[in-house]
Amino acid sequence: MSTIYPRRKALNGIMMTLCVVAAAIGLAWLGLILGALLYNGVAGLNIAVFTEMTPPPGQAGGLLNALAGSLVITVIAVILGTPVGILAGTYMAEYGRFSKLTTVVRFINDILLSAPSIIVGLFIYELVVRPMGHFSAYAGAFALAVLVIPVVVRTTEDMLNLVPNALREAGSAIGAPRWIVIRSVAYRAAMSGIVTGVLLAVARISGETAPLLFTALNNQFWSSNLNAPMASLPVTIFQFALSPYKEWQQLAWTGALIITLTVLGLSIIARSLTGRREG
Amino acid sequence: MVSLEKIAPQQTNGRAKIEIKNLNFYYGESKALKNISLQLPERSVTAFIGPSGCGKSTLLRVLNRIYELYPKQRAEGEVLVDGQNILDRSQDLNLLRTKVGMVFQKPTPFPMSIYDNIAFGIKLYENLNKTDMDERVEAALRRAALWNEVKDKLSASGLSLSGGQQQRLCIARTVAVKPEIILLDEPASALDPLSTAKIEELIDELRADYTIVIVTHNMQQAARVSRQTAFMYLGELVEFDETAKIFTSPQEKRTQDYVTGRFG
Repeated sequence: MSTIYPRRKALNGIMMTLCVVAAAIGLAWLGLILGALLYNGVAGLNIAVFTEMTPPPGQAGGLLNALAGSLVITVIAVILGTPVGILAGTYMAEYGRFSKLTTVVRFINDILLSAPSIIVGLFIYELVVRPMGHFSAYAGAFALAVLVIPVVVRTTEDMLNLVPNALREAGSAIGAPRWIVIRSVAYRAAMSGIVTGVLLAVARISGETAPLLFTALNNQFWSSNLNAPMASLPVTIFQFALSPYKEWQQLAWTGALIITLTVLGLSIIARSLTGRREG
Repeated sequence: MVSLEKIAPQQTNGRAKIEIKNLNFYYGESKALKNISLQLPERSVTAFIGPSGCGKSTLLRVLNRIYELYPKQRAEGEVLVDGQNILDRSQDLNLLRTKVGMVFQKPTPFPMSIYDNIAFGIKLYENLNKTDMDERVEAALRRAALWNEVKDKLSASGLSLSGGQQQRLCIARTVAVKPEIILLDEPASALDPLSTAKIEELIDELRADYTIVIVTHNMQQAARVSRQTAFMYLGELVEFDETAKIFTSPQEKRTQDYVTGRFG
């Protein structure tokens, strides 16, 4: 027997080992991070975290205002960013599929997608915070909306492109105007994918700190005024983790755990939605 | 040799429903149809046959101008439906397509319930109350010989049906908007023989009320379902005649070669 086959088999073994090791290294870090988070975060997890405000140094307290702030800012960002993203994605996949503009928009969108979020924060600082003269939840929401848009544009376009043309032709072939074909046929077929995109965008922005530092800033107290600085989980974690106070550091760990679990949950939902896609 | 047993002597009133005059079609720079002229009689089945890439599907797609969904595709010449040139700029495309329905090669149920698949097209142009809509949906499903199979699960997804059922659902959907012409683009090529037989039976029943144009690369199918057949090759119409003649005594050598299986 020739030596080719045993050699190939040996090579296969080596390659596979290398791949497994590489995968294991990746997973190990993730495991370590999650482990550390769980270990340190769970210790501080109690009902006060969800019911009390962020405390002054040296006292016990919770994260309620930060959690609420994050929720408010995120919701506004998604409400602002999603329609723009979906409409742009729809233009690119439906109306402008063959146009030059689409290529240009896709290119710019890809840049935006990977743009450092701190730049987005500075951009909104110049555009909103400076003219207004003060930090505000609005500004924070705008900054996060700018981050939502490219994610939603990308997934919407991709998901609509997966809808077979035959389906659009079938819609047009019974006399449906283009926008009805898009609304009732293409959107329906791509629905779970588009929703997934929005969820991924939420996951993306819920951990963003940099764009909020220059925009929503932070707030030690409960605030429902969108025109004033507002607390958020990532910025609170940032501030507390850097502090020398034990209570604050504990809250930072717990906050980090909460964000991680939220993002994990969103990703799992997004996953199961795409998994259920049929046809 | 193709079996000719099932070629029924179909009677038509001989009036041309569709008149194609000097039609040229372009995909960008390349010419896909070369000076086609053809008259398709009313309430009768016409088949377009020919090897892949001969332009038969392209010709079909001109008849409801579905090609307009894509840029750089254009048709020149005249296509008269009931004497009116549908290639005219002023032709409303959506109205044209309610009159000229189309069923595609791959079944294309919309991602919605069986009921809504049928109601979708009707709702576009008619305002019906629930009872009338129910009737229309039932009538369309009966027309497509699908009613008995789906009457107990109208709210199930159209995608849950088998391939053959999906294709009949698409035919029902097309019939539901009351077209006068039905275009079938290889409607059975993705189906098993039993489903194919059902589709062919259906075509047989529909031809009394509709002008039907079917593209097929299955010659037996053309022989079974159509009254007249157009043989196309490389974008040209080689021969157009009664189906029986095309398959037994074609005038052109190329037709002869194709229907006897010598090429294509």
